[in-house]
Amino acid sequence: MSGDIPDMGMTTLGALAEPNRLNIVELLREGPLTVGEIAERLGLRQPQASKHLKVLSENGIVEVKAEANRRIYRLRPEPFQALDAWVKSFQRVMEERYDNLEDYLRELQGQNRPEQMHENKEE
Amino acid sequence: MSRNAIVSRVEGERVLVLERIFDAPRELVFQMFKEPEHLKRWWGPRGWEVPVCHIDFRPEGVWHYCMKCVDQNQGEFYGMESWGKGVYEEIDEPNRIVYTDYFSDAEGNANAEMPSTRVTLEFIDQEGRTKLVNRAEYVSAEALKTVMDMGMLQGITETWDRLEERLNELK
Repeated sequence: MSGDIPDMGMTTLGALAEPNRLNIVELLREGPLTVGEIAERLGLRQPQASKHLKVLSENGIVEVKAEANRRIYRLRPEPFQALDAWVKSFQRVMEERYDNLEDYLRELQGQNRPEQMHENKEE
Repeated sequence: MSRNAIVSRVEGERVLVLERIFDAPRELVFQMFKEPEHLKRWWGPRGWEVPVCHIDFRPEGVWHYCMKCVDQNQGEFYGMESWGKGVYEEIDEPNRIVYTDYFSDAEGNANAEMPSTRVTLEFIDQEGRTKLVNRAEYVSAEALKTVMDMGMLQGITETWDRLEERLNELK
């Protein structure tokens, strides 16, 4: 695979490996919520929800905004864009490899067929 | 030198399919995936070489390789080594290879935090040419499925921002 993996991708996947945290992210896709609303909808105790939100926040996956006396959590798009870019980079890497393979096959077959030596690239 | 076009599509939610025609017989194209000396010549993406490539070509056998960036223009990646490990699941020469691709370290330990990819390669004879179909399915990291579902996320947050601005104006 490619070496160009955004670091963010690693920490994002690590943080989302925990099912409750993934559920929180799924829930926040619908829109920003308070910790109380998140706990209630997922059937978590509030301290538990806070703990997961802290990890998500430390990994840059959610951000919190204070509004009056409430703290509203919402998703940050950046880590997901980084992962999306990583998925696309996989496709790009495979295309580059197949370009190489095409050239290499031409080279090999050129060597096997002397009449086509002009296609043969020297190493 | 014209290239044969690559065809790509997404099947289901997380299977990426790449198809490509090579002007070479199927047996030869298959060898390209089997022999380390061949793989070393083309497996590295642009600017990357493959200094290490060990293959135990049988079901449950391991393919362990290192890619190294040798292109100074790639900045922070220059000199970087990236290790990969494939574990073969099915080998049907010269028709089909199924393996799972992992990120790994130099010792061959798979990185459990990164997504692994189950790859099915099909080699289809087309009158002396070969159609190669590469199906890549992300098998670990449920999170990645979520990510792929989230293509619209940026749009959503921008909508929230605009809604918020609008509400503030109305206050």
